[in-house]
Amino acid sequence: MTIKKKILLIDDDKDFLFATKLILEKGSYEVFMAEDGKTGVEMWKSVNPDLAIIDMMMETWGEGFEVLNKIRATDTGKETPLFMLSAVDLQGPYNSFEPPPEFPKVNKVLQKPIKADDLLNYIAKALGSK
Amino acid sequence: MTDKPGKPLILIIDDEEALRDGCSQVLEKAGYAVLTAEQGIEGIKLAREHLPDMAFIDLKMPNISGMEIIEILSRDIPNIVLVMITGFATIVSAVEAMQKGAYDYLPKPFNPDQLRALAKRGLDHRNLKIETKKLREEKDLMERNFITFVSHEMRSPLVVIRQYIEALNEIAGDRFDKDVKEIIDRCRKRIQNLEEMVKHWLDISRIEDGTFAQQKVCLSLDSIISLSVEEMTPVCRKRGISLETNISQKLPQIIGDAESLVRVLTNIIGNATKYTPEGGKITVTCQHDEYYINVSIADTGMGISPDKLSLIFEPFFRCGGKNEKHSGSGLGLTFCKKIMESHKGCIAVSSKEGEGTTFLLTFPSQIDPERKFSGTIS
Repeated sequence: MTIKKKILLIDDDKDFLFATKLILEKGSYEVFMAEDGKTGVEMWKSVNPDLAIIDMMMETWGEGFEVLNKIRATDTGKETPLFMLSAVDLQGPYNSFEPPPEFPKVNKVLQKPIKADDLLNYIAKALGSK
Repeated sequence: MTDKPGKPLILIIDDEEALRDGCSQVLEKAGYAVLTAEQGIEGIKLAREHLPDMAFIDLKMPNISGMEIIEILSRDIPNIVLVMITGFATIVSAVEAMQKGAYDYLPKPFNPDQLRALAKRGLDHRNLKIETKKLREEKDLMERNFITFVSHEMRSPLVVIRQYIEALNEIAGDRFDKDVKEIIDRCRKRIQNLEEMVKHWLDISRIEDGTFAQQKVCLSLDSIISLSVEEMTPVCRKRGISLETNISQKLPQIIGDAESLVRVLTNIIGNATKYTPEGGKITVTCQHDEYYINVSIADTGMGISPDKLSLIFEPFFRCGGKNEKHSGSGLGLTFCKKIMESHKGCIAVSSKEGEGTTFLLTFPSQIDPERKFSGTIS
């Protein structure tokens, strides 16, 4: 039996976590879930996943970016593929949130909801090229 | 001269030394910081440097008059309270000064009590004005954030439901029979429509409160039409409708936001595809005269009855009623109308039942071709 690749999902919406977990498990991944940024970063360190998907708009509008920064700053987080999730079109007040120039690399920004096929394809591609 | 924070700063501009000294003494004793100037230019310079909260200005002075100083200071110094010092004979000019932005006038001769009282009243007025402005700004910000907040809160559950449907199809799709699949797909479509509605509602609210992000630049409508037609060609092909353009040469440019104008056109062309039968035709024509550029989108569809035509731009109005199979957000044309208005243009519709519908977008041609080459390039 091959070892399943590990994916960490960080999102403050339990239902979104659950729905996405079902899709990922169907794609034969082992899924870990965190409901807030802090837990997410802690789980990143303990689980050491192959890929993480982070919601952009948790609690505060910048929390997703903070999580991303923290993960990229860890030893294992430098090269690991990271996806960002967003449910809002970036307009109006959100427009003012400009990531700084030294912004850590995001491999993919996904718009919620994500089609199951697309999600699995993007992940396969990101993990395959690693 | 004291310029401590917390102490209100008052500027006195008067050519009479005795009056300047007297006023300074009274006001400093009353706890204010005071600056004085003998004449207008010096006074304006001081005001620009120190941004006083209040200024007393003598009307009759050599060189620059009190009236001019008032005009300049009320324009240059935010929230400054200006008081005109004037002799009894010039009350008429004092009134004029108030029309130019002075808060009040102080007739000569005046006593220290009158001066103190007016200084206090003027500064109270200023604080109230600043407070009101701050509150209004907070209220505006809250309103703007409210729209975003509500739409985010409304979209989140819809997004989650659609994600569940994706999950459902993924984990059990191959076990569903045709009916179950159809039910799920219909649910998905209705949810998607609702999501679309929230999104459009948010866009319209943003246009109304001026926070809709538009980048207005000089552009030519033929590029907008080409982009829109390109985007809509696959849909038309799929439905067996031909999409043609007819654009006149050398269109004058307009000032506009390309993205929202493309959305207007694709919206209208999209509507046309819904009501035009297979084998039909949609024609986008663009013509101009000296003052206006007209873009018309004509279809050979079923047309709209006259009683419905006048309501077509109203939010949530649907030509085909609630059971219409092509239901969208119900806000598409309202969005188009708002966008056209934000471009100082307008949108109109004409239709004949059984023959087709034509939408007409009218833009003012903003750049005079004569002057186009002589103006500065920004």
